[in-house]
Amino acid sequence: MNRAAILWRVASILVAAGLIAAWQLAANLRLVSPVFLPGPDRAWAALMRGFSSGDLAGKLIGTLEHMAYGWLAASIAGIALGALIGSSKMMRAYVAPSLEFLRPLPVSAIIPVAIAMLGLTRGMALFVIAFGAIWPIMLATIHGFAAVEPRLYEVARSLQMSRAAIIGKIALPSALPDILAGMRLSLTVALILSVVCEILAGLDGLGQWVLLSARAFRSADLFAGVILLGATGYLTSIAMSLVEQRLLAWQTAAR
Amino acid sequence: MSVVAMLDEARAARRQKTLIAFNAATLRLGGKTIIENLDLEVRPGEFLCIVGASGCGKTTALRLAAGLHRPTSGAVTFDGEPITEPRREVAIVFQDYGKALLPWRTAAGNISLALEASRVPARERGARIEALLRKVGLPGHADKYPSEMSGGMQQRLQIARCLAQEPTTLLMDEPFGALDAMTRQGLQDEVLSLTHASQTTVIFVTHDLDEAIYLGDRVVGLLPHPGRIGIELDVDLPRPRDQLATREHPEFLRLRRQLFDFIKATEH
Amino acid sequence: MSLDRARPLLLPLALTLAFELWARLTHLQSDSLAPPSAILAALAAALADLSIPIATRDTLFAAFAGLAIGSAIGLSLGIAFGISRPLDRLMEVTVEAIRPIPSIALLPIALIALGFGYRMEIVIVAFACVWPMLILTRSAVRSIEPRLMEMSRALRLSAPQRIAKIVIPAALPRIFVAFRLSAGIALIVAVTVEIAINPIGLGAGIMLAQQALRADLMLAYLLWIGVIGYALNILLIAAQRRLFGRAALAGDNP
Repeated sequence: MNRAAILWRVASILVAAGLIAAWQLAANLRLVSPVFLPGPDRAWAALMRGFSSGDLAGKLIGTLEHMAYGWLAASIAGIALGALIGSSKMMRAYVAPSLEFLRPLPVSAIIPVAIAMLGLTRGMALFVIAFGAIWPIMLATIHGFAAVEPRLYEVARSLQMSRAAIIGKIALPSALPDILAGMRLSLTVALILSVVCEILAGLDGLGQWVLLSARAFRSADLFAGVILLGATGYLTSIAMSLVEQRLLAWQTAAR
Repeated sequence: MSVVAMLDEARAARRQKTLIAFNAATLRLGGKTIIENLDLEVRPGEFLCIVGASGCGKTTALRLAAGLHRPTSGAVTFDGEPITEPRREVAIVFQDYGKALLPWRTAAGNISLALEASRVPARERGARIEALLRKVGLPGHADKYPSEMSGGMQQRLQIARCLAQEPTTLLMDEPFGALDAMTRQGLQDEVLSLTHASQTTVIFVTHDLDEAIYLGDRVVGLLPHPGRIGIELDVDLPRPRDQLATREHPEFLRLRRQLFDFIKATEH
Repeated sequence: MSLDRARPLLLPLALTLAFELWARLTHLQSDSLAPPSAILAALAAALADLSIPIATRDTLFAAFAGLAIGSAIGLSLGIAFGISRPLDRLMEVTVEAIRPIPSIALLPIALIALGFGYRMEIVIVAFACVWPMLILTRSAVRSIEPRLMEMSRALRLSAPQRIAKIVIPAALPRIFVAFRLSAGIALIVAVTVEIAINPIGLGAGIMLAQQALRADLMLAYLLWIGVIGYALNILLIAAQRRLFGRAALAGDNP
């Protein structure tokens, strides 16, 4: 980063710090009842307390586990199904319209069905998370496979490449940017569904932590949990972006 | 006798045979007749150029030879056998080089694709890739991505990838159309030297009449709607060709005028 | 060609018929599945006794109210950040810090502050809608042809005039696309909040049906939610085509 960019970044951090200071002021002046709005000092203290006692760490790991299992299952299934559907014009014609209908459907509506089938269990949560996370990945994969440059298929035919080679060396790398973008979106979905399932099924995780804190009116703990959830979303997204940059190094090579 | 003279004699002797033949080939696509009753014979080692106004079907004829289309009626044969699908001995160089290269592989990776398809063992690939890069004038660019290369370099890379197939025949579809004049001239001479030494048969499609005469042993002009042969010229200019001397040769100018009149007549 | 029109329906139709046959043959008795005929019957009954229409009204009210508030905030901030690069850069850290917080995470906060009901749902929906509107509006404003901005300065337009006469009309097609996206998010978040905890609307309806072990009614709600989401999307796409037509495809070219 050049000098100007660094200065702007610092200024931006100062603005954020200023807003936190304003928050602290509002809390100190009791503009809003401390039952609802703890000051950043109390939220931070609750955060530290939670980690030192091991509680929060345990909850964080719980949520991360739910996310990870669901997201991984969704990625494997989503890419496989998406590749299958996306690489065949016929399948696209028959299947894509149904998928378009299902796209705006709130995935959380599957939760009651999952509860009916699997009860208020961890299995239900993993099913819901995987089901919800599959959509962005599968739809992105279909799009990526459908958008492969036709000229490359002609090159592949000219070289007499086998079908497996065409999928592995041409279609998949071509679709990879879309697939990775879909996987990044799915992370967000996985996080949200983890929280909702933890709230509903009382599973060990940050969702349960914030719900219990709310019920007991422990606002500092509540805010600590919310901050942690935001951090989780942010850091997993950053991690995914780094992976994308690594795998898609050829895209940045041009610049 | 010089090496060049010996090669020329061998070429003349082979000219008796036919490598690629179009026999009353007709292609209809989407309700339109693109080419009709095309009769053309391509001799081994020949450098044949096809010219014609836009939409006359010259690219389609090339793609038939490449096996990317099958004729609706008539036949297109390679060494006597009908061409039903692409074959490794016939390599095709596309005009849109950007779309024909894999952007996620380096130059070496792109050439490797052809070697992998030909099942060349991994340990041999490195040496072959280097040799090919040197051949097309891109030594040391093995680790560059296509997006980091100029248009001319990308087209050379595509040619290198096609040469990796070790083809007997090279089909080129307006390969230099998107490049500037200087790059084009340099690549014209490179293609001549690359194909002359290995006696590769070349079918070269272009809308540039000067280019066609400069490069070819024979030039065929197509009439449009539907595509069929309108004119056939033997190019009796001395080889090796020279960008300045050949283009000022009286025979060059005569052929040029003939082709120019032909194209003018078809464009109304 | 009628086959082309019918093709999208073939797969769902075939699956539905297969499901119906299977359910009949196995005399299906389940808490989680019901034959399509029973689902449709339950749907018809719930429509007739107005339980679904009322729930739909509640969900859409909360979703649209939240959408209105959230997209208004997102639009204003997006325009501000799009026009003023310095402002955008100053606010970068703050936006990037708050944006990743999942709207659902605010649910308990909204719950203790506002209790059950419309208000907390509207607040959460609004929060969720701010971000896509902000990000996409900002990028729409940024990609306005620079000539237009230069022209507005040459004409000595005041900032409000510039925004009203140049910025908004030029960016409007893309802003509408952002709005469409936010509308979808609004519905999803509203239903999710209702499923998680809020005892109103379609989300509550489907959860109650499940708790009452009425698989047919539960799946009827599921189908209806899908229909509402689809209808909303179709309506907005039609509106987009009406309002912007080919101009939307032309994008920002003057």
